[in-house]
Amino acid sequence: MTAVRLIALLAGLAAPLAAQSEGARGGDRLAGHVPPATLPALDSIVEDAARAGLPTEPLIQKALEGGAKGVAPDRLVAAVGASAAQLRSASALLRSAGETRPNDPAEVAAVAVALSRGVSPQQVARLGAALPGEPTGPALHAVADLVGHGFAEDSSVDLVIAGAQLGLRGLRFLDVAAAAVQELQRGSSHAAALAHVRAVLPHVPAPPRPAPAAVSRARRVQPSQRP
Amino acid sequence: MTHIDPQVHRVLDGELPAAALTAAQREQLEALQRAARTLAAVPPSSVAHRVMAEVRRTPVAPASLGTRLLQWLGERHAVTITFRPAWGLALAAALAAIAIIPSRGPGPALGEQEGIVQFVGRFPGARSVDVVGSFTDWQPGAVILRDEDHDGVWRGTIVLPVGQHEYMFVVDGERWVTDPLAGRYVDDGFGRMNALLFVRPLTP
Repeated sequence: MTAVRLIALLAGLAAPLAAQSEGARGGDRLAGHVPPATLPALDSIVEDAARAGLPTEPLIQKALEGGAKGVAPDRLVAAVGASAAQLRSASALLRSAGETRPNDPAEVAAVAVALSRGVSPQQVARLGAALPGEPTGPALHAVADLVGHGFAEDSSVDLVIAGAQLGLRGLRFLDVAAAAVQELQRGSSHAAALAHVRAVLPHVPAPPRPAPAAVSRARRVQPSQRP
Repeated sequence: MTHIDPQVHRVLDGELPAAALTAAQREQLEALQRAARTLAAVPPSSVAHRVMAEVRRTPVAPASLGTRLLQWLGERHAVTITFRPAWGLALAAALAAIAIIPSRGPGPALGEQEGIVQFVGRFPGARSVDVVGSFTDWQPGAVILRDEDHDGVWRGTIVLPVGQHEYMFVVDGERWVTDPLAGRYVDDGFGRMNALLFVRPLTP
């Protein structure tokens, strides 16, 4: 047996073992927080996701959320399954858009949430192409914010891409959306609000920084306080 | 109280002979001596005598240093303090300033990938308000809001990792409420809406 074949065989064996281990870890975190009857189904969903290279943390979070909210077992399993399907769609979308990191957990999770907020797969692909190799989550959410306030999806993506071309990155995309919404609230039409923001790009106002008094009052969520 | 003539006193102290006294003084001396004899003749079977005799018979172990220190601390001691009124006024002013001015420390040291989030919710009549979300593994008890002035507005400021978080308020430990001020929401898959939060780094 050649070394290449041996490595391929070991890799083939390692993936299911890693998936099982991921499922076991998820089960450990879920035990006591979800109805016991749901654990086998949830473990199976988490293992399948791990085997497919999808992030498992959003699934564990969804299961913990359902358990905390007292959701019925069948509904809880269904919601976690739907989350897994959404992650699978997000990963496939990133792969088809030529994304260099189609399995990046944060990116897959961000795209999945943006899809659930109503951003269409076509616009996800457009934004992915405009921001090659960069996180698209905030840009997608900026589009979702704009669409949520009645702006056309195409125009919203155009505005965000214009900001990207002028050097805006990361959470600053959310400021682009906030500026357009603010114009709308001042009485502008949707078209006028988009035109105004486009004219001032990239100088959209950032949110105010927290006051020193607020910073001094802030407390950290201690690991010991976490259940 | 009977006044004792100083001369008689000196005789009793053995400083003068009795012959040096006048007749009246000698009379007072004899009266005092009779009284002293009477007192000395208290029968040994009196309660006080027996108690004191028992106390004297009981062996007393020498007290340790710690015991003596505790005894000393427990006893009354006269302490005399002298102070200048001007210093007293200054001390009173300093104590009042400490009580009135709320302490504002520098706050927690934040990492590059951390930011500050202020949660505010209006829940008149609520007994408790928690923020529960992805940053608490959806378990209550880690982020508790407070209504210090009892106006129904609950507030809390916490440090969170930079990035995207989902959360809801839990009122009175059982009522899940979407933050109406969040402005950004996502379907939770269970029939409710989670608020969506993006945390920015505090350091630019």
